[in-house]
Amino acid sequence: MVSTLFYVAPIAALSFFTAAASFAKPSTADNPASNNATVAIQAGTIHLVENGTVLEGGATILVRGGKIVAVGKDVEVPAGARVIDYGADAVIVPGLVAADSNYGAPRPSERTADPFIRAIDNFDPYASFVFALQEGVTTAYFAPARGRLIAGQGAVVKLSGGPDGDRVLSDSAVIHASIGEDARNTPGYWQPPVPATIDTGMGVEQQQLPKSLMGAIVALDELLAIAKGGPDNGEYGRGVGAKLRELVEAKKPWRIGADSEAEIRAALDFAKKNGIPLILDGANGAASLAKEIAKSGVPVILDAPFSPNQSGRDFGKGRDAEWPRYDAAVALAKAGAKFAIAPSSMMSASDLRFAAALMSRGGLDPEIALRAITLSPAEILGVADRVGSISVGKDADLAVFSGNPVESGSSLVALWSEGDTSFKAYETGSVVVHVDELFLGNGETLAPGEILMEKGKIVDIGRRVGRPSGAVVVKGGAAMPGMIDALGHLGLEGSTRVPATRFEMKRIVEPGDLADRRVAKTGVTTVVLTPRGISRTGAPMMAYKPAGDDVDKMVVADPCALRLQWTERNRRESGKAVRETLQKAVEYAKKWAEYQDKLAKWTPPPAGATAPAKDADAKKEGDADKKDADAKKEGEGDKKEEKKDAKKKKGEEEPAKPITGAWETKVTVPPFAETRLRLYLNDEDGKISGSLRCDTLSSSLVQLTGTRDKHKVTLAGEGSNGPIAIEGETAENKLKGKITLGETKIDFEATQVSTEYEIVRRSEVRKPKEEKKPEVKGEPRAPGVDPELEPFRKAMMNEGAIVVGVDREDEILDCVDAFNDAGIHPILFGANDAYKVVDKLRGRVAGILLTQRVIYTEPKTGAQKRNRYAEIAAAGIPIAFHSDAEEGAADLPLIAAYAVSQGMSPTAALRALTLDAAKMLAIDSRVGALEPGLDADVVLFDRSPLDASATVMRVWVNGKEVR
Amino acid sequence: MWIRTTRATAQLTVLASMFLLAPEALAGNGKIAIKCGRIITQAGADIENGVIVIEEGRIRAIGKDDKAPWDAEVLDHPELTAFPGYVEAHSFRGMDRPNENIEVAPFLDVRDSIDPINFYFEDVLRQGITTLNIQQGPLCVIGGQGRVVKPVGLTVEEMTVRPQSGLKIVASARPGRSRATQAQALRKAFGELRTYLEKLVQDKKDGKDYAKREALFQGRDMEKEENKKGRAMEGNAPWKLADFESIPRGEVDEKQEPLLRLVEGKLMAFVQCDSAVAVSMALEIARGNGFLANTVLVIDGDSWKAADAIAEAGVSVVLGPNLLFVERDPITGKEIETFVPKVFHDKKIRYALQSLNSTAQSLWYQAATCVGYGIERKEALDAVTKTSADILRLGKRVGSLEAGKDGNVILLSGDPLAVTTTVQYVVIEGNLVYDRSKDVRARHLLEGIEQNNAAPANTGEEPVDPHSGKKIEDAKKKDASDDKGEKKKD
Repeated sequence: MVSTLFYVAPIAALSFFTAAASFAKPSTADNPASNNATVAIQAGTIHLVENGTVLEGGATILVRGGKIVAVGKDVEVPAGARVIDYGADAVIVPGLVAADSNYGAPRPSERTADPFIRAIDNFDPYASFVFALQEGVTTAYFAPARGRLIAGQGAVVKLSGGPDGDRVLSDSAVIHASIGEDARNTPGYWQPPVPATIDTGMGVEQQQLPKSLMGAIVALDELLAIAKGGPDNGEYGRGVGAKLRELVEAKKPWRIGADSEAEIRAALDFAKKNGIPLILDGANGAASLAKEIAKSGVPVILDAPFSPNQSGRDFGKGRDAEWPRYDAAVALAKAGAKFAIAPSSMMSASDLRFAAALMSRGGLDPEIALRAITLSPAEILGVADRVGSISVGKDADLAVFSGNPVESGSSLVALWSEGDTSFKAYETGSVVVHVDELFLGNGETLAPGEILMEKGKIVDIGRRVGRPSGAVVVKGGAAMPGMIDALGHLGLEGSTRVPATRFEMKRIVEPGDLADRRVAKTGVTTVVLTPRGISRTGAPMMAYKPAGDDVDKMVVADPCALRLQWTERNRRESGKAVRETLQKAVEYAKKWAEYQDKLAKWTPPPAGATAPAKDADAKKEGDADKKDADAKKEGEGDKKEEKKDAKKKKGEEEPAKPITGAWETKVTVPPFAETRLRLYLNDEDGKISGSLRCDTLSSSLVQLTGTRDKHKVTLAGEGSNGPIAIEGETAENKLKGKITLGETKIDFEATQVSTEYEIVRRSEVRKPKEEKKPEVKGEPRAPGVDPELEPFRKAMMNEGAIVVGVDREDEILDCVDAFNDAGIHPILFGANDAYKVVDKLRGRVAGILLTQRVIYTEPKTGAQKRNRYAEIAAAGIPIAFHSDAEEGAADLPLIAAYAVSQGMSPTAALRALTLDAAKMLAIDSRVGALEPGLDADVVLFDRSPLDASATVMRVWVNGKEVR
Repeated sequence: MWIRTTRATAQLTVLASMFLLAPEALAGNGKIAIKCGRIITQAGADIENGVIVIEEGRIRAIGKDDKAPWDAEVLDHPELTAFPGYVEAHSFRGMDRPNENIEVAPFLDVRDSIDPINFYFEDVLRQGITTLNIQQGPLCVIGGQGRVVKPVGLTVEEMTVRPQSGLKIVASARPGRSRATQAQALRKAFGELRTYLEKLVQDKKDGKDYAKREALFQGRDMEKEENKKGRAMEGNAPWKLADFESIPRGEVDEKQEPLLRLVEGKLMAFVQCDSAVAVSMALEIARGNGFLANTVLVIDGDSWKAADAIAEAGVSVVLGPNLLFVERDPITGKEIETFVPKVFHDKKIRYALQSLNSTAQSLWYQAATCVGYGIERKEALDAVTKTSADILRLGKRVGSLEAGKDGNVILLSGDPLAVTTTVQYVVIEGNLVYDRSKDVRARHLLEGIEQNNAAPANTGEEPVDPHSGKKIEDAKKKDASDDKGEKKKD
């Protein structure tokens, strides 16, 4: 059997602390290959449990062939051994041993004493015990049955390993018995005689003991007497005596369930009188008898008296009612008795750590509590030769926790078990990030702080958050929300075109792009994308995440803003166009306001009060006629068009069409493999401009220019490998021809995939037509949505933003006035002179996007060095950082770090990178802060993020790590 | 007329006619020649336009050129396909009650429980199943002895193909019980058998041979009976009784006798397992008591996970009706699907399919499902005919169309695995026992109530056509006048 690491929940500690330790020291071993099966497992703390030894400050366990071969602080790792270091914070304990479980669904037989029942038959080696394993429980006791005086023989098995594994530690560990309440409800026994004749009759039900504690002891005495060869009248069933004798002679311990003091006392007496080895089970009232128990040397398996996942239990209101006690463990520990802690029969074996924590009430030493769920149960159940502690020669069952396993809040990091396993690594998707400093984005800091992410969202933020089972715990120095590039071009792939205002930028998002992902890995998780140029009516802006595989999740808002230009080259013209647009926008907004006003005042007529049915019918008919007529007209129109087409076809030559659009094909340039070639062309009356992308021809985008003469197309451009020339002819939607690059000539035949110059990478998803509501008479009509003006209206309602490029202070003030008059707080872009008028801008703009020149030298004086970022931020006007570049967005954290190094407040810079940017662009309902409900975009650093020496360790976008 | 009315019709008609038909039905001495467009023999190549000649209930000849005897009735259907009757390897229907409430009852025989006029047998016939192994139900520890039957006959004896086909054993936990109690009950049953036999032998050694004395007294020859002694446990079976030979045959309690025959290898065991762990238990019991070679596992649930153990034991299996096993990952909730026959195909374990009596999952459907999931067509068809027959150790009699085998032929309207195919005729041991055109019940189901069979309206009012609302009498008059007209013409 090869020892296997079969479960690893990734922990950040791994990446932090392994670097130095994971290389084995050179060793003198002759044959490294023979050591291949050796694994060295290291952690900061290792609890050996045996003798209470704890190795602290880093120790190593060597595992070979599924067994522990060495353990200690100075163990030499042989060459060739696999080294796994869980880091200084990790704690390794032996695999936990559950001294009781409900696995195998134990159910009693009809008999009050049935020692034939073997719990091992209930063990299903094909079953999955994953829930216990994920809590570090590797070994469990199987009960043969419950609720009987003698329920059968208990077994101890390992919870991991395949059906062929050596998993049975003891197939007959104890005689499982009980004299408690649960054993006193045994029904009468009856078996139909075969054949039932008139002579034999059907028989009667035979009563079975016990109904009381007295009866239980009497029955036990009788059974023992039969076992010792006394007379057997068959009352307890055939063969019971013989079977019991076999078990008694084998000196199997009696595990007797006894809860109250009286029951415990009776069990102790019974064992003493008959000289049988006893294990007390349950023993809730053991505290007051602790000294006697300790003196008798009887070990105890304490049940934690709690029933999870149920309503509270009623224990009785009387004076004598026995309410659960939690003091047994402490009392037994004080008295020096040997005891194990087990989950109660109402609990699952996976609750073992909770049970230990519960029974630790009253100040149980954590080391003793740990022993009570590892070595003690193993010893009591007689399987300590293989499990229960970390010592040389025992099975390598190791549980790695993020802290002391008995303390709540520590979670399982990894589980080791010898042998093959049916249990596989998994991640539930819940991630807990624990950092020394947590920057929330709104200027607040938690130290220490934790984030819980689930299903792509932030679920909880605090100094300490919940740990759902299976959660991965990641540790680091600092964390902050993903950064926002407030204005960038990532994804344009060099295009300089300005699309229409109503163009959906979403259509150019390409999931899984490598450059995008690399940007995200630097911590910039949201990019506000805008074209490189401006149009009169405004250029659309879209906020999207450069990582992810689902376009809908990647897009944060489309459009999130419009970008306009106030300053013109001819300063007299400055603002003219913008004012006109604003005027239209105001009117547009007014219409909507009026509509909403009307709608609010309008009360719908009560149902049934509509126009008389006849009229309605008539109207309908009329409508139908009209529709028919329309349809006819349309049909005629179609026919006409068809005729036109036919005429065209009849003509000798089809007139050449412009070739504007996207063309695609695949080319093979030996020795390279086949690659995709894409042409994006814009054809204006035979003059062609555009670009070519083909990785084997040119590593960069090739700008093309050329001409088209009817069907003949000639294009030329400069690629990274030399000039590229294309000659070809068009036919229908094909472009056939030759590409020449130096000496290489390639034939190609491209197919038109789009007739738009703007590249459509994804087919446009058409929204399903909304069914028109039947119009109710008198209901106000909604004005049509104008996609060019809608962003303005949204900006007026603070649901969107308008970015406006403006430079000089006078223009800035004019611009802000104009926008404020229209009810909009604009975002100023460029705004070179804004620092001069901060007092007049405060409260009137949504924010300012300064150019990247952090250090600004006054052009006139040429000497004055200023940090405009710091000045404006200090003045209380929100600012944001932007890259104005494609993959250059990766520099964004550095721009901010530099601004800080030049005197800007780090808190302000962090806000500018996150929440301020999100707020001004009205995308703060999804990104920009660490707040429950927002997208789980988190950046993990090794130290404070705006320290230039801080390294980004990990990045999550929508809860998924960017790798 | 030699062609019998179908069973279905027979059951609908009065009891008297059934008695009239019965002797003829089971005489089986007629000669019949079946000519059809295609014969799928399941033994070698298919035959186009062939003839199957059945005499005395057995197939005498099969081939392209074989000629029908001059005195044989000919069933000439060039549009139909002949196929061996399906073989159901395990079924627990057709009984008045499938379960006995005594846990260990090997002495029971389903003969006493099979109900020949149960509709189940009619259904089965309609599905083209000609051989079935009826075993007791799954809610026991050791059930009774099963019986292989054909679905025709008025008494169980007439139906019987092989009595005492095997003992039913259940290795999985019954409802409300744990696996441990089931295992315990099984072990105990065999343990008690052993104790009983040891005591019996010991008693005989001790001279308490009352039976022999009795026999001598009555003048019977005990020697003959003693000669029937079973062979001692063979090979490496751990179940070894020192004086196995000396078990006094005549004295074994009839309650224990079937178990003894099982241990001796004279009886087959059909062991029901609903999980992989139950398979382990079944194999442990079979191995420990020396009847592994005669064991067939009737499996369900995740039993396929124990395929390695089954392959190692070399036993055959009968697969439950759910061929696609779906389980969920406990953490992610993701569904994982396993196609069970594929597992057994890969491990080279002999398997048969069972329909578990569901008409919706009849044998052809199970086989077609297999083909749909990538099992070879031949293997899938075998699993419902030849392999099932082999597992029941009836391979020499049924499961394929070969000379010398039982004349069990079904005529199908198309390919056996096609959804649109129907069973047109069923011939069992040379007797035409099902004719779809005369299957009143099927017609009733497919076409609705026939007008002719509807009860005459006796309301006193004139009958009214429900569709037109007109009085029917007019139409009758019209008919009458038409008749008159015709008569005139004549």
